Amino acid sequence: MRVLWLRLGLLAALLAVWEVAGRAANPLLAVPPSAVLPALRDLLLLRSYPELPASLWLTLREIGAAYMLAVAAGLGCGFMLGMHRLVGRVWGPMLAALYAVPAVVWYPSLMLFFGLEAASKIAFGFLLGFFPITLAVLAGVRQVNPQLVTVAHAYGAGAVTVFRRVMLPSMLFTLVGGLRTGLALCVIGVIVGEILGSKAGIGTLINHAYGLLRTADYVALVLVTLVLVVGSDVLASLLERRAQRWTE
Amino acid sequence: MTAARGELIAIEGVTKRYLTSSGPVEALHDVSLSVGEGDFCTLIGPSGCGKSTLLGMLGGLVAPDEGRLLVDGQPVTTPDPRRVATVFQDAGLFPWRTALQNVEFGLELQGVPAARRRRTASELLGPLGLSGFAEKYPRELSGGMKQRVAIGRALAIDAKILLMDEPFGALDEQTRVLMGEWLLDIWRRTLKTVIFVTHSLHEALFLSTRVAVMTARPGRIKSMLELSMEYPRSMESPEMAALRAKLWSEIREESLRAMR
Repeated sequence: MRVLWLRLGLLAALLAVWEVAGRAANPLLAVPPSAVLPALRDLLLLRSYPELPASLWLTLREIGAAYMLAVAAGLGCGFMLGMHRLVGRVWGPMLAALYAVPAVVWYPSLMLFFGLEAASKIAFGFLLGFFPITLAVLAGVRQVNPQLVTVAHAYGAGAVTVFRRVMLPSMLFTLVGGLRTGLALCVIGVIVGEILGSKAGIGTLINHAYGLLRTADYVALVLVTLVLVVGSDVLASLLERRAQRWTE
Repeated sequence: MTAARGELIAIEGVTKRYLTSSGPVEALHDVSLSVGEGDFCTLIGPSGCGKSTLLGMLGGLVAPDEGRLLVDGQPVTTPDPRRVATVFQDAGLFPWRTALQNVEFGLELQGVPAARRRRTASELLGPLGLSGFAEKYPRELSGGMKQRVAIGRALAIDAKILLMDEPFGALDEQTRVLMGEWLLDIWRRTLKTVIFVTHSLHEALFLSTRVAVMTARPGRIKSMLELSMEYPRSMESPEMAALRAKLWSEIREESLRAMR
């Protein structure tokens, strides 16, 4: 409770600083909260950007597609690399090196390959989300205590049972953590992709508002995006807590 | 070598080699051993003499390079939890399962309905001295308790043969002695056939009907000791002292060879 009050107090203080600083600065570049509120109202009432719902819906679908692909490929590659020691030793370091490259350098070629429509955003979101999921699976497989696998074998477990009863519970934590990071990065990838070059989606609206120096609208759009991102992370953390309870 | 009662386990000319980075190493060489039903047979010998390998073969987890192992007259090829249950050196409990759920594990794999396996496991916890600990997780249990849960997991599937790989090796001396007394009680009540691997002379003499002394690598059966004294045994009797001295001189010789 106390934490909550402190947090609200801090938020109010920040808003106050923003208000004062915003009024002092060039109104084209910085807008105080008092100017953002009407812009946010216009945005939500679909006066400034009537295409907002369609844009949000498109962005959400892009995120969904990117995430599903990232999860499927990440789990597949992770388990393949983790289970086959040779394959893992050959590919593991390359994967880690690729992960270290700032992913945004690939985006121009993704646009060339997939065009300005949704496909290039999905591809970019996938690219960002794929690595943490794969690496989490790899780390998780390494966490499995081989003795527990032997125990399960001794009690008659086959490969499927070992996977379900020993491997999954052993690595659940790491796995769910990777899935959560993967989702956050998919969201980032899709939105960044839209901002860098697209024809539709929330990123396009942001780009438009910012390009026309409609700073108040721009900030309002960013706030909407923030809600989207925080929402997806809250959802993921709920799932994480659920998995945690299941393991214990 | 003759078994007191009907033969249950026959190990016939078993050899096992491992490939290491410095070439092949023979872990076991031409080992033969026969264990009768209801026996408590202890394998004792220097470290690295292949005791655990032999146990792994009986459990169907390791395949021999030569020779064969028979349980009930049938060759052992894969783990068969209906006939053989194993207790591992450091318990090997699943940390995400409670004590009760760990005991249930083998029954779960055999497809025993939930209510029935819960009942079987709950009934075992009493004699295991774990009545109040059913819902505890392994990290909340002491070393001795963990090992008792592991033994409970092995007893739950009610296999005739119990393989125990240094089950008390990681425990302190006092707990170890008490666990030995407890195991003796369990064994005499359940009439299992036990193959027990240990480094402890005390455990070997206190528990076993037979003791097989193994040589340094490559492991062979050096000698066989038949113990017919009544249980519970007094470890201070002159007879026991003589046996202890005899066993120690044989093991000492092999341990010295293993150290070289």
